[in-house]
Amino acid sequence: MAFKRKETVIEATDLNSIPPEEAEKRIIAGVKKYATHEANFAKADANTPYLGHIIGMGIESSNLADITMSIERQFLTKMTQRVPAGDGGEFKLASGELGKLRILDGQDALAATPGLSVKMLMDLGHMSRNDAYLQKVVSFAYITALGDGWRMNDALRKMLAKVEKLSGAEREEAAANLKTMAQQARDYLAQIADAAVLAASRRKTYDNDKAAVDSLSRELSVVSDKLKGLSAGNDSGEIARLRSEEAEIKTRLKMAQAKLRVSQEVATQAGNRRAVEQAKVDELRGLLAQTIALAEKAG
Amino acid sequence: MLERRDLSALRRQKLWSAAFSWLTYAWVIAACKLYFGYSISDVERFREDIWRKLDAHDGPVIWAANHLTLIDSFLVFWAIFPWRRSMTMRLIPWSTPEYKNYYNLGGPIKKRLVRSLMYLCRCIPFKRDGEDEAAVRWRETAYAKCVEILREGGAVFVYPEAGRSRSGWFNRRKPKDFLGRMALDAPKAAFLCVYLRGDRQLYTTAIPDKGERFRVVGDLVPAVLPAETTPRQISQRLFDTLDGLQNRWFAASPLRRCCGGNDVVDLRFPLLQENMDPVSGEADEQWLDKHLTPRERLAWEALPAEKRFAEFWRYFAAKEAAHKALVQSGLIVAHGLFTLIEVDLFRRKALHRPTGAELDILFTDDDAEKLHCLAVLRGGWIGNEDEPGDVLWRVEELPAGRAPGEYVRERCLRFIAESNDEIATADKLAFSDVGGTPAVVYRGKIQDWGVSISHGGRFVACSFMIS
Repeated sequence: MAFKRKETVIEATDLNSIPPEEAEKRIIAGVKKYATHEANFAKADANTPYLGHIIGMGIESSNLADITMSIERQFLTKMTQRVPAGDGGEFKLASGELGKLRILDGQDALAATPGLSVKMLMDLGHMSRNDAYLQKVVSFAYITALGDGWRMNDALRKMLAKVEKLSGAEREEAAANLKTMAQQARDYLAQIADAAVLAASRRKTYDNDKAAVDSLSRELSVVSDKLKGLSAGNDSGEIARLRSEEAEIKTRLKMAQAKLRVSQEVATQAGNRRAVEQAKVDELRGLLAQTIALAEKAG
Repeated sequence: MLERRDLSALRRQKLWSAAFSWLTYAWVIAACKLYFGYSISDVERFREDIWRKLDAHDGPVIWAANHLTLIDSFLVFWAIFPWRRSMTMRLIPWSTPEYKNYYNLGGPIKKRLVRSLMYLCRCIPFKRDGEDEAAVRWRETAYAKCVEILREGGAVFVYPEAGRSRSGWFNRRKPKDFLGRMALDAPKAAFLCVYLRGDRQLYTTAIPDKGERFRVVGDLVPAVLPAETTPRQISQRLFDTLDGLQNRWFAASPLRRCCGGNDVVDLRFPLLQENMDPVSGEADEQWLDKHLTPRERLAWEALPAEKRFAEFWRYFAAKEAAHKALVQSGLIVAHGLFTLIEVDLFRRKALHRPTGAELDILFTDDDAEKLHCLAVLRGGWIGNEDEPGDVLWRVEELPAGRAPGEYVRERCLRFIAESNDEIATADKLAFSDVGGTPAVVYRGKIQDWGVSISHGGRFVACSFMIS
């Protein structure tokens, strides 16, 4: 089966006919035209973030949806049968005839690297699960945590270079900024050094999201109570307004629940550090510690 | 003018509420402390300060507070009134809750219970909607009851914003005249201004999260000053006072006060045309679905074909700018889930659908080459075409060969330095990263300036807030 788009003809491949490494290779090749950081793209692997310029491929936010669509265009799947899910005309995909791959809204929330895109395909049942491959994929929780560290290291190095060029009162002021940034970096190191501490910080996000879901549930129950209170009356305009408010809150609640599932997964991943993540953490820690030492010397 | 039966109904309610005051007080405190697990930081010191001022004032009091949840009146009452003062009947405030929100809740039993509680808590139901004679009369009667209470030396609780703030920010630029009118009708009154919020209250909700710890600031100010003759003058002063309290509250909060974002789009960037033809407006359906909500899609489809390309990217720029402002506020918003934010280009608003948080948006650059959009959640006013707001921005072309991320940071620091006589040189500033968003460091401190940077194709842009 071939989809024609402008001058490019993409031959779509059955996801179950190729190994995950091949899917990863094709996913990377598919986003080439969106990558603005050529050097990083050239050495991209399963764990190279799509976004960001320091270690990422430099894909711009205006092309974020194109990453998923590029994956959809390249592959075929058997998960094509639409099965109703919920009352809002929503559906989920179940096993059926081989056809075009479809990633539903929100399903790609954690697919921040080619490896995580492959994991997403496995999690959604489009590919069979391959644990040996997944062992090599850094989790979303660590991709975001490491991203923070790389940005911090980059900012600190730039500031260091700036301070070295200054003198007098300006140097003093810049050194004060450098000291603050070094302290931020030390706090970060303390957090990333211990998986339990990192998990606790991610747990806060989960707690906030949980509170948001609870709050919306309460809001929904208030509207339901208002509807119940009005049911004996004949204010049809007000009843219609409340029904629409109820539908809106239900949509919001679904979104909040989806977000909660993501933060729950992130919190779990953060506390479960594997060898592949430990290696990345160690690499960053060594580098950042070096930068902090240089900053202390300059400050 | 109140009729005799209204006056006697008011007096009857006053007697019943006085008779049950300890019981209702105990119920409010028990619900807040035991059921919801709420607490208020440093409440004793706050009460001491406020009651020193209240004891020195023997006239009526108009309570005025920020409004984030449906139970704010109970929380503010709890923050002000210690148990030993619960019999100070004159100062226990009368409230004007919206009839629709409280008086028709649940089945017959629940409805009666809620109505009884509202009655004992000195509530005068208010109907804010409707312009028919009955609705207007209802409002006027409720207002007259409030004035009557104030003339008798009592206390009335009002929310100056006349509704819950959708952005979670008390906006001093939208004063409501009813406050000034009330003050002119009861000139001996004082305004008890209160700002109460918890550090986890990022936006408006029905009820605060369980276990929330609130902080409260307040002040007692005269209702009418000698030179004030119009309701607007008085309301504006009251709004300014509450704005000052809001700033005091945020100064002691880990939350960022200024939350602003920006986004620039290069309309000639070839990759923007990947899924949409700029001339015919034809677009990939699936791609549209990934970016626009059904409501946005309807508005977009109603446009002539040749206008659709730029309009689509307006939606996109507004969503990106809003996303950046939301992240600064402490909300974790997943990148790429564009349909979580719904933009209304006509009303210039962006709505974060899971939380209901609403932002203001403004396009500063909108031509054939580029779009630049600002978004503000809180911390100041976004401005409009006629009047500059609290956001400064700059859009520039990216010189050939320069890395956009690095260049925009460099230009942003220079822009901030140029905009402030005290800073003068960008060398005194640095970019850092706080919670995944850029932040500027000055004099060794991370500044709450709502800084945002963006780049797209040939352009870079930055913005920051000066409020």
